[in-house]
Amino acid sequence: MASHGLTYEGCNFLRQRLVLSALSGKRVKIKNIRSKDDEPGLRDFEANFIRLLDKLTNGSTIEINQTGTVLVYQPGLLYGGTVEHDCNPQRSIGYYLEALLMLGPFMKSPLKATLRGVTNDLTDPTVDLLKSTALPVMKKFGIDGEGFDIKVRTSWYSVFVEMQSNPGMDKVAMHVILYLNLSLVLHPQVVKRGMAPGGGGEVVFTCPVRKTVRPVQLTDPGKIKRIRGVAYSVRVSPQMGNRIVESARGILNQFLPDIYIYTDHMKGANSGKSPGFGLTLVAETLNGYFLSAEMLSTPQGQGDPILPEDLGRNCAKLLLEEIYRGGCVDSSNQSLALLLMTLGQQDVSKVLLGPLSPYTIEFLRHIRDFFQIMFKIEVQKPLEDERKGGDKVLMTCVGVGYSNISKTLK
Amino acid sequence: MPFKKQKQHQQKHSGPKAEKKKLKKQNGSTEEDERKRNPKAFAVQSAVRMAKTFHRAQDIKTKKHHVPVVDRTPLEPPPIVIVVVGPPKVGKSTLIRCLIKNFTRQKLTDICGPVTIVSGKKRRLTFMECNNDINSMIDLAKVADLVLMLIDASFGFEMETFEFLNICQVHGFPRIMGVLTHLDAFKNNKTLRKTKKNLKHRFWTEVYQGAKLFYLSGMVYGEYQNQEVKNLGRFISVMKFRPLVWQTSHPYILADRIEDLTDPERLRTDPKCDRTVSLYGYLRGTHLKNKGQVHIPGVGDFQMSDVNFLPDPCPLPGTQKKRALNEKERLLYAPMAGVGGVVYDKDAVYIDLPANHVKQLQEVRPTTELVQSLIETHVTLDAKMAASKVSLFSGSAGLDPTDISEVQEGLREIHVWDAHTQTQRRKVVFTGLEEEEDDVSGSSSDEDDDGSDQENQEEEDDLSTFLKEVRDKSEKATKGSTPPVKKRKLEEMQGEEEVIAEAPAFADSEDELERGEADSEGEGEAERAGDSGHCSKESEEDSDDEEDGDEDDESMEEEIGADDSDEEEEQGKYHSGTFKWKEGLQQKASAAFLRHQEAAPNLRKLVYGSVVEAEDSEEEEEELGGLFRVNRPQKSKKVQADALDCSHFNPDISHNWELEEMLNSIRDCFVTGQWEEGQDAATLLKEDGKSSGGGAFCSLYSELKSESDEDETDDEDQQVKMDDEEVQKNKRLEKKRRLKERFDTEYDDGDATYFDDLKEEMQKQAELNRAEFEDMDDESRVQYEGFRPGMYVRLEISSLPCEFVTNFDPHYPVIIGGLGTSEGNVGYLQMRLKKHRWYERILKTRDPLILSLGWRRFQTIPLYHIEDHNGRHRLLKYTPQHMHCGASIWGPITPQGTGFLAVQSVSGVKANFRIAATGVVLDLDKSVTIVKKLKLIGYPYKIFQNTCFIKGMFNTVLEVAKFEGASIRTVSGVRGQIKKALSTPPGAFRATFEDRLLMSDIVFLRSWYPVSIPQLYNPVTSLLLPVGQKDSWSGMRTVGQLKHDLGVRNKPSIDSLYKPITRAPRHFNPLHIPKELQKALPFKSKPKLLQPKGKVPRDLKRASVIREPHERKVAELLRALSTVHHYKKKVAQRAHHAKHKEFLQQKEKDEEAKMKRMKDARKKLYRIMGQKDQKKQRSSLKGTPQDD
Repeated sequence: MASHGLTYEGCNFLRQRLVLSALSGKRVKIKNIRSKDDEPGLRDFEANFIRLLDKLTNGSTIEINQTGTVLVYQPGLLYGGTVEHDCNPQRSIGYYLEALLMLGPFMKSPLKATLRGVTNDLTDPTVDLLKSTALPVMKKFGIDGEGFDIKVRTSWYSVFVEMQSNPGMDKVAMHVILYLNLSLVLHPQVVKRGMAPGGGGEVVFTCPVRKTVRPVQLTDPGKIKRIRGVAYSVRVSPQMGNRIVESARGILNQFLPDIYIYTDHMKGANSGKSPGFGLTLVAETLNGYFLSAEMLSTPQGQGDPILPEDLGRNCAKLLLEEIYRGGCVDSSNQSLALLLMTLGQQDVSKVLLGPLSPYTIEFLRHIRDFFQIMFKIEVQKPLEDERKGGDKVLMTCVGVGYSNISKTLK
Repeated sequence: MPFKKQKQHQQKHSGPKAEKKKLKKQNGSTEEDERKRNPKAFAVQSAVRMAKTFHRAQDIKTKKHHVPVVDRTPLEPPPIVIVVVGPPKVGKSTLIRCLIKNFTRQKLTDICGPVTIVSGKKRRLTFMECNNDINSMIDLAKVADLVLMLIDASFGFEMETFEFLNICQVHGFPRIMGVLTHLDAFKNNKTLRKTKKNLKHRFWTEVYQGAKLFYLSGMVYGEYQNQEVKNLGRFISVMKFRPLVWQTSHPYILADRIEDLTDPERLRTDPKCDRTVSLYGYLRGTHLKNKGQVHIPGVGDFQMSDVNFLPDPCPLPGTQKKRALNEKERLLYAPMAGVGGVVYDKDAVYIDLPANHVKQLQEVRPTTELVQSLIETHVTLDAKMAASKVSLFSGSAGLDPTDISEVQEGLREIHVWDAHTQTQRRKVVFTGLEEEEDDVSGSSSDEDDDGSDQENQEEEDDLSTFLKEVRDKSEKATKGSTPPVKKRKLEEMQGEEEVIAEAPAFADSEDELERGEADSEGEGEAERAGDSGHCSKESEEDSDDEEDGDEDDESMEEEIGADDSDEEEEQGKYHSGTFKWKEGLQQKASAAFLRHQEAAPNLRKLVYGSVVEAEDSEEEEEELGGLFRVNRPQKSKKVQADALDCSHFNPDISHNWELEEMLNSIRDCFVTGQWEEGQDAATLLKEDGKSSGGGAFCSLYSELKSESDEDETDDEDQQVKMDDEEVQKNKRLEKKRRLKERFDTEYDDGDATYFDDLKEEMQKQAELNRAEFEDMDDESRVQYEGFRPGMYVRLEISSLPCEFVTNFDPHYPVIIGGLGTSEGNVGYLQMRLKKHRWYERILKTRDPLILSLGWRRFQTIPLYHIEDHNGRHRLLKYTPQHMHCGASIWGPITPQGTGFLAVQSVSGVKANFRIAATGVVLDLDKSVTIVKKLKLIGYPYKIFQNTCFIKGMFNTVLEVAKFEGASIRTVSGVRGQIKKALSTPPGAFRATFEDRLLMSDIVFLRSWYPVSIPQLYNPVTSLLLPVGQKDSWSGMRTVGQLKHDLGVRNKPSIDSLYKPITRAPRHFNPLHIPKELQKALPFKSKPKLLQPKGKVPRDLKRASVIREPHERKVAELLRALSTVHHYKKKVAQRAHHAKHKEFLQQKEKDEEAKMKRMKDARKKLYRIMGQKDQKKQRSSLKGTPQDD
């Protein structure tokens, strides 16, 4: 049959391409992956991502050439089910989770993915951020229900592996750890984080299956009614969290009294393998939209250390920046919202965004390649005396009328 | 007998009866409702029953609901496809001819391909005749909106009719109207009536009860009677249609015109080369995306190389208020039948001028003039395409080709200039024209805007006289001649744009920078204004370009534009380096530029327009940048192929969140900030307070709030607002509206059900869908939503097989069906299938079958299976007779829930019903889980107690090892388990059983073996066959057919043959019970050890007695006497019996009488007692009040 796929160059936007390929069923070929680099070919984390995709699908073929510079992906059927995956610590779980969020609703059977690795790092959106912003966005599209959640939870397994890999550990310590873990099993609320270089966290993402996605009109963001946040710290002084909260509140209190930032200090086995601290801030509007910002300490031994006060202040400023950009969907979930609009019914969907990020812009191009959908992009200038931040972008499109072809009809 | 006169009725004139009647006469008639007149009769008798009736009524009401769907029908719907079906010689063509004549007053002799007509002010029809080929029937059933099913009444139903009905049922049931013809063949009126009735009822059972069946009674001069055709036409033109799932989710086109665009030279050298063909037709169903994948049933899958929309060849009349169509508006369009007058193409117009179509020609005269002028300019195709705009002027101006091209470029320049700022002076592509171009734009703006005159005068000197002339001429041309309306509109728009563009153009130029030095305060504002102008202008400019209809041009233009911007930036840098007065602004300018990038003044171009050249420039830079790499801020947003894949959006460094103004800029994003007029809680409260009479708290709060508001907002602003009458009035109106809304929500929404809400939601969505792109021109609209149904489109497909063109037969429908995402792939499909009950045979697994699924017809090899109770899919050899079964095939991916039908062959006409099976797609799982039963048989060769050695099941030790622990069974039902392999003989193993086996037992192992589905997907390419043989497509043959054709006969194995069964009688050894056991057994079970009787010795035997004659006589007498005695005794006994019976009866009677007596007496007694009691009670009751 005449289904010749699409060809791209370079390793950038690999996730977008593969995800869209899996959703549209179009074959994709990616050439010249770091062909001029000292270490040509796919990196470990990319190979790891492809492996995850392979676990989720059924009947897909992946061809990678000798040097790893050419990747051909013939998508299969999105299968879902229970998947366990050890993510590469080069990238955080957010890197993998972003793709899973896009694929999750279109699986054959409800997805329950257990991802292990780095929960928080600097390059990718952290799990906390995705949990607090991406899920509400998807709920707007009718993807919700009982089993729709991202859980950061303790992992037996990773600690066990750690124990086994460390033969020098004495028996007593092992027993202590085992005891601790048993107590953890009894309290599933306990969060286990894994900061950047080491990792050791675990995330469970469950997502129900939908046949269709409903069109949305997200045009009025509403005013921000409250700000919530989590200041977390692992393997550092517990005072860090308080110091972060203090400084962040100092800035945000100028706008709103309803601010609450939880401090979350992790000890022992819950704290992963590396020290660090960070802050995630989420602003909720009256209409139920979420804008977020986050900031982390630099990983141990990489770059200059950052003071928690600075971090809190900078993170608050980042949130202000995000609010300045505005829109109904925050900048890190723009592409998710646009994808769900594209995959909607053949109806008009609208969403108001802040300025488009470069990632989103490329995503729009990819959507055009894979689904032949072009968005109507209208810039909304703020009025003269309006004090609602910068330009907004109103994205309008007609969905492709996508229906989940993986789901079984009974 | 004399008739007795009855007493006459005497009316009462007075008394209560008369009164009553009088009252009734006066008032009674007013009460019509029986329930009110006679409320007692309608009172609730039983609550349960009432509840039941209520439930029933609700059930019936709810059952009528359909799942609400968003109404996606376009404002101008495509013509309705009416397919005329029937067996040959039933009068299909005649009916179409009559209907066409009825609607358009034109006669069409040959019905070839689809015929489109305008039937009313809001309705167009496309007639298509369906010939007697099952391929055509299948294809047309998928696109039909209405089916006219012709039935020869003199013959009755034919197989084709039923086949077509079943095809329709599978692919979504379109409206079906039966038409009975050949009714004049009946001579007898009664038989006619009977036949009509019979046919009608049969038709009703097939379609639905009460389906419309039309009778065409007879022919007049070879045509049906006018009145009957008119009635049929009326029915058709008021018919409503329901949306069908497949049709509303896929775009499709019933091609009514086909042109071969292949290069003639290529054709000459290689007549069998793949052809480039353009197909034309109305788009139906849903939006069609350009470059999508399509399937042409009977040909195959193709990628569309291009799609355009053309002016409607058969447009609906304008919206004039009149009842009927006039003669001009009754259009007819049938290019395949040689009718259609003028047919348009993207770059050409074909004119066919038969004598009777002069009116149509007149209608389109202005356009043909344009076309003629186009034809005059002998230029290449590309140039011609580009010239679609220019030739407007060429007609009047008469420029030679080179001038034309220059003018064209000049015009193009203007566009480009509009798109960018005035700083754009250094253009690379159009060398030598830069200056002029700039000036041209300047001067063109001066027509509209006086404000720019000064500047223009300065630059006037440079203006090349030649171009000026050209421009003047072009202006004249536009004013003088009358170009098509659309073009003129375009130019007007351009003009308007320039007006808009003027002010911002200043703001963004160097002047602005100069000003910026002076007053940095106003700069931001001005810039923002500049941005907005910039943006709107560009977007409009874009749409203009698109209107030119040339994508090539556009892309080229965009490239140029982008190049320019790059160039411009560089130059800007250069300038800033040279001119010192600009240096101070470097920081600010870069910040502004960054903000531009973020806010993206023309995002559309940024996102979709300039992808290609951005990457190009990147590469270029890299090649250069082996030595030095210029780190420019704008490069950061450009695509970097090997950059880090990260979705983070880095914050804008130019924003300093320490500053108070920056913080102020987002203050209103919070609930604590200022609210809009309508939403402000304070004002709302105030209004509420007023309307409800006012509350102290409310007013106090609102006062407080308003005070605080005053602090925040500009005093002046409020002052202005307060003064303004208009504003006040608007406010009042707004308030009223809000109040009404609130009232409505409170009172109207009372009994809205879930269904109503859902429906309303759908309605809202439909309105939004309509409104969103309404005010856009078609060219840009098409880009966003795709080609919408109702458009007349032209598809170009570049690699059609040559047979499609050479063997083209307009009698066969050419359907272009759009495919959804991933419907172009092939994979495994799991389906539910049932053999059709009218099909005579059952279907065999692995026999190739032709399926019609989605748009496609293809041959494939199905495997039938059924699901066992434990979820196992067991392979079946044959389909069950009257049951559903599963079927798995290798075929095109089609969404679940799509129906399909199967036929065994599409060639020829068979007497039998051809549809073999129907079903629905359930799943698209790529892992196939069908298994078939495999029985491995072995024989015991050594038997111990419960253990035995078995051989013959496996061949090697390894095989046995794989099956260790598997359960096995003997034919007699003794269960066991495989234990371990034995070394010799190879494949033998030890097994244990629950009982001892016999050497004659057969042991078998039941296992399941996965079956793979053969990957055969063979599209039925019936349209590629030569004309006249299109119904003779044959694909892969079944094994049975092959054997039959090749004369191969199976030699059955000797073992499989039936032989007479010879059963050797079995001898059973006598049961031997050990003595010990015998002793222990209870007596009942003990074998009875009775010795068989031996022979009685002679002496022990009794001798027989032989009587003497006297003795015999005595015996005789005695016997006779005893007989007599017996008889007498019997009679006496009978008499005694009767007597006794009588006695008993008597006794019973007496007893009864006695009982009655006693009962009466008792009754009497009780009554007396009761009376006494009552008396007592009464007296006691009486007694008490007396006491009081």
